[in-house]
Amino acid sequence: MTAGPVVSTPRPAPSSRTARQVARGRSFAHRFVRRPEGLLGLVIIVFFAVLAIAPEVFVGPLETATTASGDRLEPPSLAHPLGTDNLGRDVLNLTVHGARISMMIGLLATLVTVLVGVLLGIVAGFVGGRTDTILMRITDFFLVLPTFVLAIILAPIVLELVGGGSEILGIRTTLIVIVVVIGLTSWATTARIIRSQTLSVKERAFVDRARVIGAGGWHTMRVHILPNVTGLIVANAVLVFAGAILTETTLAFIGLGDPFAPSWGQLLGAAQEAGAPGLGVWWWYVPPGACIVLVVLAFTLMGGALDDILNPKARGRR
Amino acid sequence: MTSRYLGRRLLQAVITIAGIVLLNFVLFRMMPGSPERVLMRNPNMTQAAMAAQRARWGLDEPLFPNQLVAYVSSTLQGDLGASFKYRGQPVTEVIGGRVGPTLVLFGLGELIAIFVGLILGAYSGWRRGGPVDYVGNGVSLILYSMPYFLLGMILLVIFATSLGWFPTTGMQTLGANFASPLEQALDFLRHLILPLAAVSLGLIGQYSILMRSSVIETRAEDYIQTARAKGLRGSRILRAHAVPNALLPTVSLIGINLGFIVAGAITVEVVFNWPGLGTLTQEALAARDYPVLQGVFLILAICVVLANFLADIVYGFLDPRVRT
Repeated sequence: MTAGPVVSTPRPAPSSRTARQVARGRSFAHRFVRRPEGLLGLVIIVFFAVLAIAPEVFVGPLETATTASGDRLEPPSLAHPLGTDNLGRDVLNLTVHGARISMMIGLLATLVTVLVGVLLGIVAGFVGGRTDTILMRITDFFLVLPTFVLAIILAPIVLELVGGGSEILGIRTTLIVIVVVIGLTSWATTARIIRSQTLSVKERAFVDRARVIGAGGWHTMRVHILPNVTGLIVANAVLVFAGAILTETTLAFIGLGDPFAPSWGQLLGAAQEAGAPGLGVWWWYVPPGACIVLVVLAFTLMGGALDDILNPKARGRR
Repeated sequence: MTSRYLGRRLLQAVITIAGIVLLNFVLFRMMPGSPERVLMRNPNMTQAAMAAQRARWGLDEPLFPNQLVAYVSSTLQGDLGASFKYRGQPVTEVIGGRVGPTLVLFGLGELIAIFVGLILGAYSGWRRGGPVDYVGNGVSLILYSMPYFLLGMILLVIFATSLGWFPTTGMQTLGANFASPLEQALDFLRHLILPLAAVSLGLIGQYSILMRSSVIETRAEDYIQTARAKGLRGSRILRAHAVPNALLPTVSLIGINLGFIVAGAITVEVVFNWPGLGTLTQEALAARDYPVLQGVFLILAICVVLANFLADIVYGFLDPRVRT
């Protein structure tokens, strides 16, 4: 016997899905653009994304100690709009290239964080029972743990294990280690948020219908749960990105960066180590510092706007 | 508060600390080669000290259960191993000498930030869209987006290097002869002000954002409407009805965020060369002094767990609904 007419096909949305999604997407874009702070955030992010994609176009190849174009600690001039550092490297050059490194680490770390968090969150929420209890105990453990200090210990250990200096897929292993360490120590919040949303999606009728006609667990999670938590994932990922950049900056500042691939945090760390704040060499640390604040602020503003739009309960909170 | 609620929270805290100790054990064994190789790299390690270390870590015995038991029992006795960098000095001594300055800096910083941040957040949220909210929230967002050490660097440049109002480094003027204890205390205060300002400003941003959104959410509740209908004055509604309820989510969020906040904020010490756990962490990291790093991690983790436990208890006092 085939399924009777009562049991409709278990799609999360009816067949007019695309049209409806376009309409929803349009109103979403509309609402997002109408929030000035969200739009401001987006503009800032796009600006830095462009810098990060092709820094060579704007300032030429990354300057090193051997290819430095100026004298030591030159103040800003026409040739060096942001002056030079203690190796004679152009600070504008370093800052623009720093955008690529900081943004790339931020992006990759966000991917790892969101991947782990979403996977654990959906599985815990959907499967429930003992699996849920165990996974959430682990999550709570990581939530309470001072993960940043854990990252400080974990990073040098993993670095010694894999050895720095070499490259994987054109990315230096030092940076990959930082990415993995940030990812592995910051997924707990995401897992919590996604789990609670999964718990509510799980109770909806289409999930029951899918179960009735015999859909498997993985299938249901992938086809029915995941699309319904995507909005939340995006809003969370934006905030995770801000956190990842801050964590990377701080790790690099206290000496876990890669001097051959300087991120903004690495530049600040080098400036601090050379005593730049005491020497009055403001042009060395103000540009990377301003970039970090701008990017984190932009992501925070965007995350707030997204949260407002996607989470009806929070609407009008900001 | 029922003893069951207390007991459950206490059990949770104990399990978490046990997990942290276990994690520390695994981390030490994860190091390349054997822990022994790491010990051997230390030039200050004598043959006798090495043998003592081997015996202490139980390195000649199987990993499980002997090494684990040895590790856990020595940790429980407060023996965290010997520092590489400080000529084999016990880690507990190395850390013990640095706890005081950090405690002063963060204890005061937290107090100031909770006080100012919560008041600022509550007022901004209550008068949403008003001038205080506009400026306060903007400043809070910028402070929130700024790594603590950057805040420290900016303060250092303005108030120490340029204006020369405060010393740039350390906790005390080196080699100074103080005429009286009072003079010594004043010198300490002058050194304390800038790092303290950096820590508290960073935390104020965090706390006022949390409190603000919490108050805004509370404002929409029915009991606020009721209080208004009763004809209570706005300031009284805020103090007696909105703030106590808005504090609830804020208290637990402060507890949860603490781990991250404390760790990020210790970088302020590096900027001002404040002789606390933050500078110790940086020095240990530069020397790859793993025993000290792990000791710092253990101490900070336990502090954060205890602070969370405290936050749970405070929450229990504030909200009778969770005391079951």
